[in-house]
Amino acid sequence: MSNRTWFVTFATGILLLALLPNVVDGYMLGVMRDALIFGLFAASLDFFWGRTGILCFGHACFFGLGGYVMAIVSMMPDLAQQTLFGLVAAVAASALLAAVIGYFMFFGGVRGSYFTIVTLALAVIAQQVAVSWSDVTGGDTGLLGVPPLAFGALDLSGDIASYAAVAVILVVCLLGLRLVSVGPWGKVLTAIGDNEMRAAALGYNAAQRLTLTFTLSAAIAGLAGALYVAMAGLVAPDLIGLLLSTEVVVWVAIGGRGTLIGPVVGAVLVQRAQQEISSYNPSLWPLIIGCIFVLIVFLLPDGILSIAQRLRGVLPGRTR
Amino acid sequence: MDLAVTTLLNALTLISILALVGLGLTISFGLMNVTNLAHGEFVTVGAFTVYFVQSHGGSFWLGLVAAPVVGAAVGLLLEGIILRRLYERPVGAILATWGVSLILQQGIELTFGLGAKPVVPPLDGVIDLGVSAYPVYRLILIAIALLTLAGVVLLVARTRFGLDIRTVIQNRDMAEAVGINTRRTYAVAFGFGAAVAGLAGALISPLATVLPQMGVNYLANAFFVVIVGGAGSVFGLIAGSTFVGGLTSILNYQISPSLAQALVLLSAIVIVRFRPHGLVSIGGRA
Repeated sequence: MSNRTWFVTFATGILLLALLPNVVDGYMLGVMRDALIFGLFAASLDFFWGRTGILCFGHACFFGLGGYVMAIVSMMPDLAQQTLFGLVAAVAASALLAAVIGYFMFFGGVRGSYFTIVTLALAVIAQQVAVSWSDVTGGDTGLLGVPPLAFGALDLSGDIASYAAVAVILVVCLLGLRLVSVGPWGKVLTAIGDNEMRAAALGYNAAQRLTLTFTLSAAIAGLAGALYVAMAGLVAPDLIGLLLSTEVVVWVAIGGRGTLIGPVVGAVLVQRAQQEISSYNPSLWPLIIGCIFVLIVFLLPDGILSIAQRLRGVLPGRTR
Repeated sequence: MDLAVTTLLNALTLISILALVGLGLTISFGLMNVTNLAHGEFVTVGAFTVYFVQSHGGSFWLGLVAAPVVGAAVGLLLEGIILRRLYERPVGAILATWGVSLILQQGIELTFGLGAKPVVPPLDGVIDLGVSAYPVYRLILIAIALLTLAGVVLLVARTRFGLDIRTVIQNRDMAEAVGINTRRTYAVAFGFGAAVAGLAGALISPLATVLPQMGVNYLANAFFVVIVGGAGSVFGLIAGSTFVGGLTSILNYQISPSLAQALVLLSAIVIVRFRPHGLVSIGGRA
């Protein structure tokens, strides 16, 4: 996506986010807020997958870890500034886990499908740990009663306030990730994704770059998880497991890998569709999402945002 | 003493099942360079075949024979319809096979209904091994699995088809240049891997909880096996399943199963750090 197209899309998105509270009721605003948090989560995966071409199939580990840490820290008694410490601890924990995994994987020369499989296995394990380590995680039920976002006197628990907080964080994160991914750092990542040996020959430490990028991606996933848990007021094992890990891959694939905005759009659309279809027949949804996976690979390898670009390519008199 | 023997036999059960499930993965991974996330469903299909045959009055043994046939059929369909078009797109193959896996799981659930399905073991008794008693059926399971693996080793080492497979793994372009039909080799090898996974599902069905979602756990473990052992080699497969299965069985006695699995994963990651191509690595392809 060219820089101009991206910023036009981005500005349109901000406008839509700003107008939304005027057109929908409080319940719907809450639904959208949660969808946007998952959109941030999807963008964090896209930041890594889109630039490096390496697919992480266990990204919910970081989302869920952020959520659990947020719940545990912010529910500590006698802690001032619970939200702040909770968010910092959540981001730090996710980043640390990713740095350790990245160190063992990337510095060990693990790439491509091997990385995908190890992260898939991580998600399976993380969910089992979350279920069985019930002293800390609350087991199957999870942890209830997580306090809502509040910084000192600034209370962000209302419908509009929490929506606005999420929207601002999302916009800032998207802008930051975009700047990193089109800047020098992102160019090196693209070079590593295209031909790692050549990038290394030019003097770039590929393993180090991949590890740091993965760590940043996981930190944002952890932030998204912490926000979600604070908004929902609870954390449960399904936030850390394999199913969420695969759903986020769908959101990114549908929205368009490497665009950062596309995954947010994908997350919002797919979740709306999921809620509609599940209210009609809950057992149908996994079947549909399976079909989406297969169809997207064959019909829309570049995601839904690419439809617009294809149309523009078809129209006469315009060059992209 | 009898605890040691029981642990050893339990480990052998797990190791042989993992090796059977991992065979198809090591084929698709090492031979075709394709990550097949629907591989766990071949195990599920095998287990449900036994359930289906039994619930219609057939014997367990009939189900055990039918399971690999059904597994191969599903595998050949998957290869022919989807994977064949994605050999040049590894990430596309990952996404599409995961989609197929969800479709198969949900399809099985819609066909057979929610909940675990009972499969009756063909033999009930225990056998006295001198130092300890052990269920007869598990000993038969180990025997069948070992015979199958021995057959696979012979197939790869002694037959024309095995030579083709080894040639393609070492150098695909050269194999095509000397006249090997790689597409056909892929299809037959993939179907074979699916059949063996179906057999594994049938063998484990009286011991495991037969659920539409049962495949995922075998998938994750079998991938460890392939990663630890090194893709594309039968001896790597055996080394990997011995490591994963053996460690899991030993740890299961000391700590909770999920913690044991987490430790096995961690040690697998550490091994991959120092031996990126597995314990038994083969030349030719990185």
